[in-house]
Amino acid sequence: MVARIPKKGLRDFDWLLALLAIGIVCFGTVQIRHAQPTEAYWVKQLIGLGIAVVAMLLVAFSDYRKLINIAPAFYVFGLLLLVLVLIPGIGLKINGQRAWIRVPGIGQFQPSEFVKVTTAMMLARYFGQRRLGALSLKDVAVGALILALPIALILLEPDVGSVLTYLPILITVLFLSAIKLRYVVAAVVLSVVFLPLAYWVGVKTNFVKNYQQERINVILDPEKADRRGFGYNTWQSILTVGEGGLWGADRTSGHSQSSLKFLPEPHTDFIFAVTAGNAGFIGCILTLFAYALLLSRLIVGAKRAPDRMGMLVIMAIVGGLTCQIFINIGMELGLLPVIGVPLPLMSAGLASLIATFIAIGFAMSVQLRRFVN
Amino acid sequence: MKFEDSSQNLRMRLWFVQSAVLVMLALLGVRLYYLQLVRGKHYAEIAQDQRIRKLPIVAPRGVIFDRDGHPLVDSRPIYNVILSREDLRGQNLSSLVNPFADALGLDADILRERFDQIGSQPAFESVLVKQDATPGDIAWVEAHELEFPELRVEQQPQRRYPPNGLLAHVLGYVGEVGAEQLKQQTYKDKNLKPGDVIGQSGLEQAYDDYLRGRDGYRKVIVDSRGRIQDEIETVLPQPGHDLITTIDLDLQMAAEQQLRDSSTKRGVIVAVNPNNGELLALASAPTFDPNLFSQRIGTKEGRAEYMALLNHPDKPLINRAIQSRYPPGSTWKIPMAIAGLQQGAITLEHSNLACGGGIWVGTKFTRCMGSHGSPDVGTAIVHSCDGYFYRLGLKMKLEGISAMTEEFDLNKRTGIDLPNEVASRTPVEFKTILDRRNQEWKDIDTVFASFGQVYEEMTPVSMLRTVAGIGIGGKLYIPHLLREVKPVGAANEAEFRAGRGFQSIDASRPNPKIVPIPEDIHHAVVEGMWGVVNKGGTGRAIVMAGFDIAGKTGTAQVVGLGKDIGKNKDHSWFVSYAPAYKPEIAMIALIENSGFGGHHAAPAVRRVYDVYYRKTRKEEPPGALPVAKRTSEARPTVD
Repeated sequence: MVARIPKKGLRDFDWLLALLAIGIVCFGTVQIRHAQPTEAYWVKQLIGLGIAVVAMLLVAFSDYRKLINIAPAFYVFGLLLLVLVLIPGIGLKINGQRAWIRVPGIGQFQPSEFVKVTTAMMLARYFGQRRLGALSLKDVAVGALILALPIALILLEPDVGSVLTYLPILITVLFLSAIKLRYVVAAVVLSVVFLPLAYWVGVKTNFVKNYQQERINVILDPEKADRRGFGYNTWQSILTVGEGGLWGADRTSGHSQSSLKFLPEPHTDFIFAVTAGNAGFIGCILTLFAYALLLSRLIVGAKRAPDRMGMLVIMAIVGGLTCQIFINIGMELGLLPVIGVPLPLMSAGLASLIATFIAIGFAMSVQLRRFVN
Repeated sequence: MKFEDSSQNLRMRLWFVQSAVLVMLALLGVRLYYLQLVRGKHYAEIAQDQRIRKLPIVAPRGVIFDRDGHPLVDSRPIYNVILSREDLRGQNLSSLVNPFADALGLDADILRERFDQIGSQPAFESVLVKQDATPGDIAWVEAHELEFPELRVEQQPQRRYPPNGLLAHVLGYVGEVGAEQLKQQTYKDKNLKPGDVIGQSGLEQAYDDYLRGRDGYRKVIVDSRGRIQDEIETVLPQPGHDLITTIDLDLQMAAEQQLRDSSTKRGVIVAVNPNNGELLALASAPTFDPNLFSQRIGTKEGRAEYMALLNHPDKPLINRAIQSRYPPGSTWKIPMAIAGLQQGAITLEHSNLACGGGIWVGTKFTRCMGSHGSPDVGTAIVHSCDGYFYRLGLKMKLEGISAMTEEFDLNKRTGIDLPNEVASRTPVEFKTILDRRNQEWKDIDTVFASFGQVYEEMTPVSMLRTVAGIGIGGKLYIPHLLREVKPVGAANEAEFRAGRGFQSIDASRPNPKIVPIPEDIHHAVVEGMWGVVNKGGTGRAIVMAGFDIAGKTGTAQVVGLGKDIGKNKDHSWFVSYAPAYKPEIAMIALIENSGFGGHHAAPAVRRVYDVYYRKTRKEEPPGALPVAKRTSEARPTVD
């Protein structure tokens, strides 16, 4: 599939996108090293970056149309991985979640990160057909079904956090696939009304557990919540971020929130808090700016896409990445409850890294073929 | 748009998605602005605080010595299991009671009570879970570091007192500062925190500010589990001052031995240097083990032991020398004789009053124990003639007796440097009671007030102060136990803290109080007291050739005449000093419910004088009385 790399291919290759992604990973690796100076996570991350770049190039110089045409095969393969991970002995149980597959030599990886890509491909394939008029209810149902299968399997792990990053993929695809605007408005209004109501009912009926309530309370008022119990992670993250100030926290003592283990999971879920502590407001804003640039670059690519399928696959990726970034950083800044979602490109973790680069590779592939028809 | 855009306004929708992406990222930026720039300082402070701990280093408490430099109390290092509040992680203390009690062999109820008491105080930093932890306890704490990160093992000094309750009432004991105490201003001023160990009785309490020293601390950086990662700063504790007391351990042990050997094993022996008020011995029996309070009070057995002490009918916790009042019996006649002569109720030339075997006042006859004719004041003292003093009292009247109690400070505390001294009760005080009942003070009451059985109750130490003062011609020193607070460090050091000698707590009180006793009056009374022992008087059994004891026996009725048997027997008194005309030492003994003063208190005093004589004259005292038995021959060691 990598058969033809035309000269103009190299010219059309989105160098800025690639450099942005690699730059963010490198910056993230520095932060991982800050977070866990005694562990080799940062080395693994660099190795992962190498693999990821290779994977990205492979995908970028493939013909995305051919890939999407055989999307059902990838999709089924992804589902198989999600079934495999549930089998004890193959799937690794960490913190009560059986979400990792043990791979000899490499360690472990999380198939749900890869399946995001295959699901996005599958959705792009279904909705990418040329069509006239608005989406029918049947179309929406099929889209929902495509998403429902991996979600159901992931819920068995159970990994609610991952599921939350799947939903935006479908929403973005539906939104850009000519779903009627009144449905969109209705959905927005319903969720705005229904979510708080559901929470209230959940609290009253004890369906929402105490610890879950505490995780909400710490967001509403971190100073008064149970800061040593279930609000601990959020509170410590807020402290770490706040301590960063404008330029980063004073490190003359050589100790930090992460080195003293006050901040949990500093190299994965809470890597942005570590960054905020080290690099301060300036560093954080630059990081957010880099993400904004990267996402904008992807959207520009989507706009230039030669066909609907290409546009959809890029936008699905944009929707997924954006929401994952927002959920992760929002959680670290005490805006959202603690949900175990990695920060794309920055959190330590091979699967997330490689999957994100493959997704970016797709976007590149679409761009490389924008003049070809 | 490269492909056909027939369906709805795709361009608009893409634009919308792009805006949503940027808005979400901007929202995060705003939140960062709030957390890092608006609230950054606040969070930085909290983050700093949670990683910094101040671990106290308990100051070594000063050692207490006797006057010859024998250590009486010191401390030894022990390991305590401490629960630190910082590391509790919002856990409920009560949920920890059972696991700790099981693992460390503690009583769950006592531990729960401790947690309730200290854990409810806002300022608590740590709670003592187990004192004097065994190696097994320490190993358990270390093995359960992950499960109970709040537990820590700390080395702390533990106070050790001499065995057999030796000097218990003088030394007192230390204990944790109580919740109630912390609310009082005096304790607030001392800057104490819950769990601090302070003197709670005796010299430990009286000189606590000197003995305690100032705790130091280690400022450390801890990780989220409270494990120490780094040390920022160490402030060493300032050790407490050592104390040199006026106690002579040899006399003290002899005095306690005499009380133990006495018939009822209840009583007081106090010895003082009349020339400066230094107390050489202060024994009160029965006694108790102060180690109970410093070492065992946190255990179930310790609590039971404490309850038993509190409820014991003999009240061992009371220091009888300063906290119990007894009718002084005939020892009352010494100040009476001085005051009678001073006030002119009798004169040296005409001091004879009739004995008459007693006295009729109205229809009531109060009898004398003998028939003494018409003695002069000296003879009346020698033979302890009640009839003489009935008549002297009637001449002095209540006013004269009350002037006497004022003159000899018998209506106030002596000012001894021990806490909780009580004041004696004088006839005037009893009169106010009669007044309140609308009862008239009659002549018969004055008779009763003049021979020490009814209308006065004296603490042994106040009686001793009076008689010792009379012995040296009218100087009443404040009896005290402090010889010297030793300085800490050398004079040229920055950490130097000066010592001091004894100072009266009430600075307005003269020390000594001068009682102007004309020399001839003093001589006449001393002659009488000399005669008590040396001229066939009531104390003749203890005569000591070459070391003239001047004294006065007393037999204080506990109940009416004729019923004085068994546990209602009279209290036996003997108050004295020696040598009679150049006093070096004054001594009082009171043996509760043992009977006649000359038979019980006087021999006990004599045996202590024997020890004094042996020590100061380096020879065997003439006619030393046999000592019944020795339960502890060797001097106790506290180290």
